[in-house]
Amino acid sequence: MKENTAKRCSKTACLHLTTSVNSCYTSQWKLVSAGFGSWFDQNGLLQFERKARGGLLLLKLSDVCLFLTGPYAKLLLTAMKSSGCEVLKERHFSCEDCDGTVSGGFDAASSQIVLCQNNIHQQSHMNRVVAHELIHAFDHCRAHVDWFNNYRHLACSEIRAANLSGDCSFVSEVFRLNFGLKQHQQECVRGRALRSILAVRKITREEAEKLVDSVFDSCFNDHAPFGRIPHSKKDAKFAHRDYANRDRYYANL
Amino acid sequence: PPRACDTYWSEFWHCKSLVNRFHHYYTYGTTPSCHQWKEDYYNCREWEKSRSTETKEALQRSERKRVAEQKNFDPVWELRCEPPKDWNLPLNQDNTEDS
Repeated sequence: MKENTAKRCSKTACLHLTTSVNSCYTSQWKLVSAGFGSWFDQNGLLQFERKARGGLLLLKLSDVCLFLTGPYAKLLLTAMKSSGCEVLKERHFSCEDCDGTVSGGFDAASSQIVLCQNNIHQQSHMNRVVAHELIHAFDHCRAHVDWFNNYRHLACSEIRAANLSGDCSFVSEVFRLNFGLKQHQQECVRGRALRSILAVRKITREEAEKLVDSVFDSCFNDHAPFGRIPHSKKDAKFAHRDYANRDRYYANL
Repeated sequence: PPRACDTYWSEFWHCKSLVNRFHHYYTYGTTPSCHQWKEDYYNCREWEKSRSTETKEALQRSERKRVAEQKNFDPVWELRCEPPKDWNLPLNQDNTEDS
């Protein structure tokens, strides 16, 4: 296990800052959710070095923008704004260099979505990472999620994020050489939620499996704010249409 | 009506589409049931013509059933009444030396 050591601010990540944030600094932060290749401190919590902090890389700003204008993100962002959590690119997104193979994470302490710029190389991958982390942010916004102490809450959010973000789409799974068909989405969601939990919490595989099993039925069927699992752009478009008309809908029930 | 009549029609055709049937099978291992969307569409059109109570109630029953199905799970967490207080707080910055 590596020790946490404060590292000097890396200037390279700051070279392309597009916002007015000029200073770089390092701090310890606790990742709520992450991929793989991370490490744990003596308290069993994932520790990460934030090598630089600031605005978004010029390149990544446009990549994020491209995703945020699509129907999927539009619904999520509208729902978050309605709940009082307006997402501002400059405040709630951060592109940083990460260790290991982590693609991104949601930092509940600072209410930021971190994108690991050194591990994301394709727009489609970035879209999925942003979608995944936005689900965590949405859950943080609308519910009392105890990220650090209640592992059931963590498991639930991971199940939802894997289920609703496209992480477990047929195509994504095929690219991972997982060729499942009948009910494979559920198998994939279980597996990815399990891996995400094991990456950020120091528990055994058996304990993690029990956790996922205990909340799976509830969380797999919680499709908020979409009302359905958005498999395709059309699903996302229809979900957005339903959300935009929700006042009329509930008034006429 | 809760949705525009055209919405029911587009949902019906989307439900029946090959792509949606594939996704449903991939997720649930079964083919989706789409006839209710068609029924709702006809009830919607009928209500627009005749404003009959029967069609209105049929439509409302169908939609309430959809809402109940969507909420058919025990939530794991407690929903908030207000957003997190620190969502929009400015980021704290501890300046350190540049390398």
